[in-house]
This record gives sequence, C-alpha cells and structure tokens, in this order.
Amino acid sequence: MIADWLTLAFGAVGLVFFVAGTVGMIRFPDTFSRLHALTKADNLGLGFIALAVALQMESLADIVKLAVIWALALLAAGTVAQLVARAALRAEGSEDRDA
Amino acid sequence: MTGRRIRAGAHRAVLFAALWLALSGAEPAGLVPGAVLVAGSVWLSLRLMPPRRPLRLWRLVAHLPWFLGNSVLGGVDVARRALAPSMPLRPGWRRVQVALPPGGRVALGGELSLMPGTLAAGTQGGALLVHLLDTDAPLDRAIAHEERALAAMTERAGNG
Repeated sequence: MIADWLTLAFGAVGLVFFVAGTVGMIRFPDTFSRLHALTKADNLGLGFIALAVALQMESLADIVKLAVIWALALLAAGTVAQLVARAALRAEGSEDRDA
Repeated sequence: MTGRRIRAGAHRAVLFAALWLALSGAEPAGLVPGAVLVAGSVWLSLRLMPPRRPLRLWRLVAHLPWFLGNSVLGGVDVARRALAPSMPLRPGWRRVQVALPPGGRVALGGELSLMPGTLAAGTQGGALLVHLLDTDAPLDRAIAHEERALAAMTERAGNG
C-alpha cells in the first residue's frame, strides 16, 4: 500500500521533469541551452520513473535491470549531448564563414 | 599477457557476469550460454578498449553520492529555468584546461553534461569547451572538483 503511493509520487515527480525538459527544449533560445534541458531534466525524470517502477518489482534481478537501464541511458545522454553540441558548434562555424 | 591485462580482464568478467545474472534472472538453464557470452565479451572489450590505467573502483563508488546529488540539482536547476515565466538564462562559453588523459576528458565531459549548468562540447587543443547556462553561476570550483575526483579514480600508469 505504501509502496503503491510512493510509486505514484515518484512517477508524478518523474513526469514533471520530463515535461520541464520538453518545455525547455521548446522555449530555450539555442541548440546548446536546449541540450542542457534534454540531458539533465529527462535523466532525472527517467531516474524517478525507474525508482517508481522498482518499488513494484518482486525480484532483485528486476531492480538491477532497471538500474542498468537508467545507467545506460545516463551514459548515452552524456555522450550524445557532447556529440550534438560539437556538431552544432561546427555547423555554426561554417555558417559564419558563409555569411 | 601482462598482469594489468589479467587484472582488467578479471574486473570486467565480474561486471559482465553480474550483468548476465541480472538479465537472465539467474536461470540455471542460462548459466552455460552466459559463461560463453561473458568470456566472449571480455575478449572483445579487451580488444576494443585495452586497459591503460586501472580504475580504482572504491573511488568510483565513493564519488557516486556526490554525482547523484549533483545530477538531481542539475535537473532541478534546468527545470526551474525552463518553467519560470521569466526564463532566467545567461548562456555563454568557457574553456577549461584539463590535465586528464583523453579517456578521462570524455568522462569529465559526460559528467559535466549532467551537472548543474554545464555542458561539454568537445575539446579544443587539450582544453574542454564547456557551455554554461548561466555565466554568473560560480562553476569553476565545481568543475575543478570533478576533475580531481576523476583523476583520483585512475592510478598512475605503471603503478597497478
């Protein structure tokens, strides 16, 4: 019973961060600022949702699986954010040269 | 095979075996294919990512609470800025001189991208290019702390 309420609470908090990340992606003025919103807010959102789901799991293996999913998403987000930022920086540089 | 290679292989074997046990739910029927896969994965990982400097695992674990706490702060900070009607942003760039080896630089970049207010955008001549959401925020000390923690995680070459 308590676990169910905690699942609802953590899930709701996770959704708030996903919404905030999306709002940031729409509102923020440039690619780099948008990447901040996507990587940081969405990872926290996923973390809270994984926590919420973990409370409903019956075996330790399932909980480890959720932790691995979150860790891999974290790793991917950190890496991809750097790659996108670097690509955006190059694109900006070539635009400057064209102008 | 050098001692360092064997040690790194053993570390990775333990990691992959734990991962397999979690994924298969420790099914007895999965143990044999698991053993084959773990052996193959260790071989492949040693080929693709040869061990250079052994990781100090306890340093990594000790760093985890700090990292988790800061990534929560990072998410809260960026969510607050995104949702606030006035949207307080002062984006800018900073070049950070980093003394870490290339692998450590990438790790630092990935970590900074999850910390409050910083985002790495690759390196320029040994310096890490960091995008800041708010150039007024005092981030220099946080970045230096992060670099020290990562440097402490790897032993000096020839020491392990």
